[in-house]
Amino acid sequence: MLQLLFFLGVGGLLFVFLLALARRGKAVGGARALIGARQALYTLRSELLPHDLVVRIFAREDLEFVLSLHSRAVESIFFTQRRRVALIWVERVQAQIRHLRHLHLGSARFYARLEFKTELSLAWNFMILLFSCRALKAAILIGGPYAAPVMVRTVADAATRVCEISSESLAFLTGAGLEGVGGSTGSLPPHSA
Amino acid sequence: MPARGLRSVKDAADDLHRRTLSKLARPLDRLIYLASTRDYNTGIYYHDGLAVTYGQDVTCQALAECHRETFRELIGTSLRDLVAQMEDYMASVHLSAERFILAWKKLEPYRVTVPVESDPLATEFLFANLRTALAIVEMRQAHPASLARGASPAPSPAR
Repeated sequence: MLQLLFFLGVGGLLFVFLLALARRGKAVGGARALIGARQALYTLRSELLPHDLVVRIFAREDLEFVLSLHSRAVESIFFTQRRRVALIWVERVQAQIRHLRHLHLGSARFYARLEFKTELSLAWNFMILLFSCRALKAAILIGGPYAAPVMVRTVADAATRVCEISSESLAFLTGAGLEGVGGSTGSLPPHSA
Repeated sequence: MPARGLRSVKDAADDLHRRTLSKLARPLDRLIYLASTRDYNTGIYYHDGLAVTYGQDVTCQALAECHRETFRELIGTSLRDLVAQMEDYMASVHLSAERFILAWKKLEPYRVTVPVESDPLATEFLFANLRTALAIVEMRQAHPASLARGASPAPSPAR
């Protein structure tokens, strides 16, 4: 009887220890995801989604100017350069959106209480966005940077919506709050798109 | 006292605009000038005249702010305007067009003209535009008749 109690006690202690270890791992991973999400929001808003920059990258005015020169060599250089920049833009938007989705799929529910409607809207926008990014990337690779202007607008608008919803759901992420979870990435700029 | 510090930086930047940058009408010229005031090894900006009045720290911040502002301005410039700016800049450095184009193609000196904190996408976009503009300038040098066609540069707001 005494032996049984002893083993039960050891088992209980082991269970508590493992439980504590699991909870600690989740908190550390969650903190990393929160910092990653904050950085992703910052990058999207300040570097990838400013309206003026997106408009300039896909500006038809530049295309018309180059075509008016009637030079195959210049056209080739222009399309190569612009296609590369357009692809960098799509790939970076896609990567940052994946960061945000990772947070919402994993850690967000531990920190933010999202309404079912908000979660549904986020899921829908993530799906639209990631699908549009893939389609836009293919369109740019095949048809060049001016192949899908509507899709560019779709990606930019959907990314803006995701940023807004994520921002609201992560509003508790103040600088002080982040310091508490291991780092700070600076304050989020107001959305400019 | 951050408020006073900020005002000093703004004052220094206004001073720089008034005395120096206003004489450089083209953003491309201003970008190259401002980058030239930065030490390649440390990234610190120097301007003796401003430093006498505002001190080195404020001068450095004012130059950095003007540099970022000019960079943003150039990012928003159309390709047509950028070509016009490059042609004017090329004319102002008193080099033969061939030498200028060769140096810019081989050495890509514009790579050291961007502010340190500029984001990678905007930087890559500017480089891409400068490469294209250079190709257009080269084509126009080889075929001056192309200037007479519909591709003549529109009057630049910067000029």
